[in-house]
Amino acid sequence: MPTIDTDDILEQRRAYNESLAQAADKTRAVWFPIAIMAALLALPALQFVGNYNYLIHLVLFTASYVVMASGWNVLGGFTGYISLGHNVFFAVGGYFAGMAFARLEISTIILAPVAGLVAGALGYLIGLITLRVRGPSFIISSLALVMIFRIFFENWEFVGGAAGVALKANSLPVEWAKLPYYYAFIVMAAFAVWASYRIKHSKFGLGLRAISKDEIKSESAGINTRFYKVMAFAISAFFVGMAGAVWGEYLTYIRPNIFLIILVSVNMVLMCILGGKGTIAGPVIGSVLIVAFNEFFVATLGASEINILATGLIMMLCLMFFPLGIVGTLARHRKLPRVLNWD
Amino acid sequence: MIMADMVQILVLGLALGGVYALMGSGLSLVFGVMRIVNLAHPSLVMVGAYIAYWAFRLGGVDPMITLPVALVILAATGVLLYKLVFEREARSAKYSEMTVLLTFALAMVVEGALGTAFTNTQRVTSPDYATDAFFIGSVFIPKGQLYSGIVSLTIISALALFLKYSAFGNAIRATTQNRDAAELLGVNVNLVGLVSFAIGIGLAGAAGALVSFVFSFFPAKHWEWIAILMSLVVLGGMGSILGTVLAAFILSVIAAYVGFFFGATWSTLTFFVALFVVLLVRPQGLFGEKPELA
Amino acid sequence: MNDLLQVSNVVAGYGDGPAILNGASVKVESGKVHCIIGPNGAGKSTLLKAIVGMLRVREGDVTFKGESVKGLRPDQILRKGICFVPQERALFPKMTVRENLRMGGYSMRDKSELERRIDEIEERFLILKERRDQQAGTLSGGQQQTLSMARTMILKPEVVMLDEPSLGLAPKIVAEIFDIMRVMTEEGITILLVEQNALMGLKHADWGVVLDLGRTLFEGPGKEILNDPRIQELYLGGKKAA
Repeated sequence: MPTIDTDDILEQRRAYNESLAQAADKTRAVWFPIAIMAALLALPALQFVGNYNYLIHLVLFTASYVVMASGWNVLGGFTGYISLGHNVFFAVGGYFAGMAFARLEISTIILAPVAGLVAGALGYLIGLITLRVRGPSFIISSLALVMIFRIFFENWEFVGGAAGVALKANSLPVEWAKLPYYYAFIVMAAFAVWASYRIKHSKFGLGLRAISKDEIKSESAGINTRFYKVMAFAISAFFVGMAGAVWGEYLTYIRPNIFLIILVSVNMVLMCILGGKGTIAGPVIGSVLIVAFNEFFVATLGASEINILATGLIMMLCLMFFPLGIVGTLARHRKLPRVLNWD
Repeated sequence: MIMADMVQILVLGLALGGVYALMGSGLSLVFGVMRIVNLAHPSLVMVGAYIAYWAFRLGGVDPMITLPVALVILAATGVLLYKLVFEREARSAKYSEMTVLLTFALAMVVEGALGTAFTNTQRVTSPDYATDAFFIGSVFIPKGQLYSGIVSLTIISALALFLKYSAFGNAIRATTQNRDAAELLGVNVNLVGLVSFAIGIGLAGAAGALVSFVFSFFPAKHWEWIAILMSLVVLGGMGSILGTVLAAFILSVIAAYVGFFFGATWSTLTFFVALFVVLLVRPQGLFGEKPELA
Repeated sequence: MNDLLQVSNVVAGYGDGPAILNGASVKVESGKVHCIIGPNGAGKSTLLKAIVGMLRVREGDVTFKGESVKGLRPDQILRKGICFVPQERALFPKMTVRENLRMGGYSMRDKSELERRIDEIEERFLILKERRDQQAGTLSGGQQQTLSMARTMILKPEVVMLDEPSLGLAPKIVAEIFDIMRVMTEEGITILLVEQNALMGLKHADWGVVLDLGRTLFEGPGKEILNDPRIQELYLGGKKAA
């Protein structure tokens, strides 16, 4: 009869668990995101030496997606509930602030947090309903949500139906006209990244990550999974709604086919998957790459159909070969550069 | 005459239900066997519709004749997709979620490809019967929808017979119900997956040929179909083909009445709202037994 | 060396996860009933899954009639003559009883021979004949277990492996399940059984194996194991229970 060597097995378990743990704390480089921030805040100074409106637009556009993708990441990355319908909150934020701007002339930048809260509150209510199902059912319900909202917005006379509402452009000279929105998005993006870091490392965030690993076990471990999930949904809706608020005024239009097109919600998902779902830097890296990629395609080929095809193709390849995304894959192989480890 | 109107709407709803039934049954089969929620299914229906459209436009070929061709072409596409994409995903830990995202991306690829090739112009094939109708009293039955309904039900019946009475059909059903047990009894579940996937996608092609003269279509329209078809499959109890067919008829008739009373816009909303309500109230669907997806 | 099936020092686990089995060995002799006992998480079910090819054998070997069957797929193992009935009754709930039996002979070429054998089985287990057109999911737990065990006999396998056939059944029904096992041995089928109900399992077994921490700790004739004080202390809940 062989002797029972439990120590041996426990030792093996421990070694195994250690191999999974990421080398985290020591490699973090806080200076890097701060340096980027400083550079971006100073960037508009270029307008003194030439016309860099396009560059400003690109950074602004990327920042808007950093806000949305980081927000989406709270639900899709941390909690593991994939929503393909988050552009609903983009629309809600956009319409709320846009209509207030059109009727009451309150700047959407000031209104953005309020619009975010409105979207968040709606997200809370929708989450109460749709988060009762998980996995593919949840994904399908999120798609249905977009369809339902699109029909509503297209038939709601008060907000102009399918034609939407035109918003007044600001009266600044053309080289400075983008700047209010530029700074608004930069600040929101920084806030979104900071907030998602704080969320991830809070007790709440730990609960969300537990839910994404095993919801039933989390529940039996005493986590109020329902409340956690719904809150995660509301928080992610808040960020997306906030981005939508300013986006409408920036484009001087609110219209269903700006906000409620599938490409917007796909972009959020794709950016997180490409960058690394559930990581802090992932959505940022994903946003930069996808925006750059979109611009490249629009500039060289011009056609939005090819853009859809290419986006789909990249998404397929990512899912098949890098399901962990850039940050996740590098981290697993312990090759993540210090400057990109924001977790 | 209100009564005649009511009957008329019922007939139109049922006629539409026949087409949706075929569109949904392929989706249901693929989900049942592979546990893949194939969001690309409607975009592949669209491919079938374009095949029928161009055959009609360029060669004057009746869509009914193109139908088997579209079926075979799409089935072959299904084999290819299975081999290239889905076979390797079988070992993925988050398989069902992964495949939803993958098929979503695939739908974009197909939409983008069709849009690039054929632009976003609205198309429709117009064989003679597409614009003709039978009259029974004051009730008219559009020939196109009647024929497509008959063809669709014929194909679905053939599928049902194959599943019920052939050895391989039994293996498909067995794999749907208990994959591990089927494998232990010697069923090559990978082959079953491949064949079911090919049949499912083939049915999308066949449905596309019918759709080509029942609806006008353009590449981006498949998004609308996704939610419609999902509502059928979910209401029918994911994976149950009979359930899907019944759901197709029930929802199409309801949608027809909603359209009559509240306007065409709200008619489509019926499907979306039904999808939402069913997912939340009874995620296993009307005919499913356990909440497979919940 | 008349061992029909031999498992030697097998290491196996799920996916990339840690090894559940850490060098388990079992010898299966032709025509006998073998019972594996052990606490929860000892790796009993894992062992059967590794034999049948549902899990990869990382180290060690599995031989059947002197030939290595390591790395074969479940359908290939089946063709060699080893049948496995997993814990969660391996039925097709929405297929009829008869269709379930027919699936049992899916790997048979000769379909008329298959129908003949199904008739034979139905004669032996009359309840299955009575319920032949009923959906398997609507049978009682005991009937379902009867069906899954009877179904293995269609192929006339050499070894049948049963994973906790008594799970969730009333004592009276459990006795029936063990009766079926006796019928199977009379047919010349060798049985490898995993049982949580160790007393019951060992009482009916010729050979007992104690598995714990992923290893074979002890093996010997069923009665001997049953009466071994150490085993009683550790796995059978003390002397009183015996």
